[in-house]
Amino acid sequence: MTDPFVHVDDVAKRWKGQLGVEGITLSIPRGSFVALLGPSGCGKSTTLRLLSGLELPDEGRIHIDGRDVTTAAPSERNLSMVFQSYALFPHLSVAENVVFGLKVRRVGAAERREKLRRALEITGLLGYEARKPGELSGGQRQRVALARAIVANQPLCLMDEPLSNLDAKLRASVRKDIKKLQVDLGITVIYVTHDQTEAMSMADMVVLMKDGHIQQTGAPEDLYYRPANTFVAEFVGAPPMALLDGAAVPGFERAAKVGLRAESLRVAEAGQGRLTCRVSECEFLGSETFVGLTHPAANGLTVSMPGLKHIPPGEKLEIDFADEDLHFFDAKGNRVGHPDTATA
Amino acid sequence: MSGLSRHIETLSALLLAVIWISPLVFAFWAAFHTTSDAVSFDLTAPWTLDNFRIAWAGAPWLQYFLNTFLLVTIILIGQFIVTTLAGFAFAQVRFPGRDVVFILVLMQLFILPEVLIVENYVMVSRLGLFDTLLGVGMPYMASAFGIFLMRQAFKGVPIELHEAARVEGCGWFGILWRVYVPLARPTYLAYALVSVSTHWNNFLWPLIVTNSPDTRPLTVGLSIFAAPENGVDISVISAATMMSVAPLLIAFLVFQRQFVQAFLRAGIK
Repeated sequence: MTDPFVHVDDVAKRWKGQLGVEGITLSIPRGSFVALLGPSGCGKSTTLRLLSGLELPDEGRIHIDGRDVTTAAPSERNLSMVFQSYALFPHLSVAENVVFGLKVRRVGAAERREKLRRALEITGLLGYEARKPGELSGGQRQRVALARAIVANQPLCLMDEPLSNLDAKLRASVRKDIKKLQVDLGITVIYVTHDQTEAMSMADMVVLMKDGHIQQTGAPEDLYYRPANTFVAEFVGAPPMALLDGAAVPGFERAAKVGLRAESLRVAEAGQGRLTCRVSECEFLGSETFVGLTHPAANGLTVSMPGLKHIPPGEKLEIDFADEDLHFFDAKGNRVGHPDTATA
Repeated sequence: MSGLSRHIETLSALLLAVIWISPLVFAFWAAFHTTSDAVSFDLTAPWTLDNFRIAWAGAPWLQYFLNTFLLVTIILIGQFIVTTLAGFAFAQVRFPGRDVVFILVLMQLFILPEVLIVENYVMVSRLGLFDTLLGVGMPYMASAFGIFLMRQAFKGVPIELHEAARVEGCGWFGILWRVYVPLARPTYLAYALVSVSTHWNNFLWPLIVTNSPDTRPLTVGLSIFAAPENGVDISVISAATMMSVAPLLIAFLVFQRQFVQAFLRAGIK
């Protein structure tokens, strides 16, 4: 295995004693799509800004492409960036916005024209060269920001919630476009988002953060099937994983918490289930209905039932599940292989 | 009730406008009539251009126009350079004591330029700039008002644009030139308007620091032309005054709409 393309080693950043991020260690292979995921204020944007050089870390080293860039200026890091607000220059036309960086770096006019044409072609913006950003729709502005990010062929592209200003429908289609772009160009993308659907569907590697610390790093399926702690379990997946007190699950009393995904639950005949709950609400999604359940020792229990179901709230429902679908966590919330090791 | 009050408002506005413009209208009237006709307000009196002919021959006006034009240009260029750099530093560069220095600069707003006339005179003489256009313009280049205006305009620029320019490889000067200056264009226009009209009309300081027709601006030239020892001919003086204010007046009338918009836009930001 070759050296990672981006290597972040134990980086920390604090503001006037307040914690920004701490102990951030990441190894990102070349050509991968990495999502920094987490709730707002978790430090994912700070991590991105540290990578871009817009902020400098208080501790730790950052290497990009084998070069130590810990204190290098943003322009020396061979990267491009897409901002949440797109940061298009309102006084420049689309074409001027896209070639802004090339002009600053004194790329020749002929080469500039060629790269501009290619970038606009890829992003489907041919014909809009002379427009000002103010005359474009949100989706078009977003594409201009993308075109500006890819025009210089930088091997690393940082994106800070680039889809958060788009409506839901557009977001889904641009998501596919960005993923395709990344694969076609073979660039490495580090993508900040608070939307787990975006992270799970686009990324090769998800970095889930909370309160300035990385909670888990891994492929989307790792986070979903093997959450490292209860925070990851409850953050990833829709609906999130339900957590039960171990004491409430017969046979697994020794685990502090037991996790269960909605798809592992089945509604059982009366008297046959392992847990008896009450229905709290029904959420109809078309092909299935999520039935929310309450149980004194459980949090976030949801069972998925096919088709449309109307169950009056308060009604008793028994549920069943298989032992191999259970996830176990110790008292600190960390994942353990088997309940018996939890107390060890 | 509201109809009546609206009428009163309109009428008072009209009254104020008439009072305000009447000296200009009278000067205009007098400039095109003989002195006796001008004073007697004979509306049927014949119009004449003789006053302009006499006034034009009486002083090196072309030189004065050129001086004033050069003077306001030099001041404006100097002000743009100084206020841009200082405004940017106060808005976006972090350095120790920034706020204290900025307050010191703002204090300048409280001091009337006339108070400093002697001090400025000494300084300009010491620099060897007495009786030069640069000497006339120099005390106004570091304008506190301009620095304040530019700082506010630059503070209104979204920080993402600054950061995007940094990522794209711009240095401090590149960011200033390619991002901040173009975005502050309405402010520059509004400021230029104020600066040009102020210095076109400025009188006291140029009177003191100029000594020859080669450097004298229009206002000083006009006052010497109209001095009582030359004999007071109200029509000829009016004609000369009309000539002095004409370029600025015409420019204002032609670009009125753009000027008002520039002010609005600079204000909204």
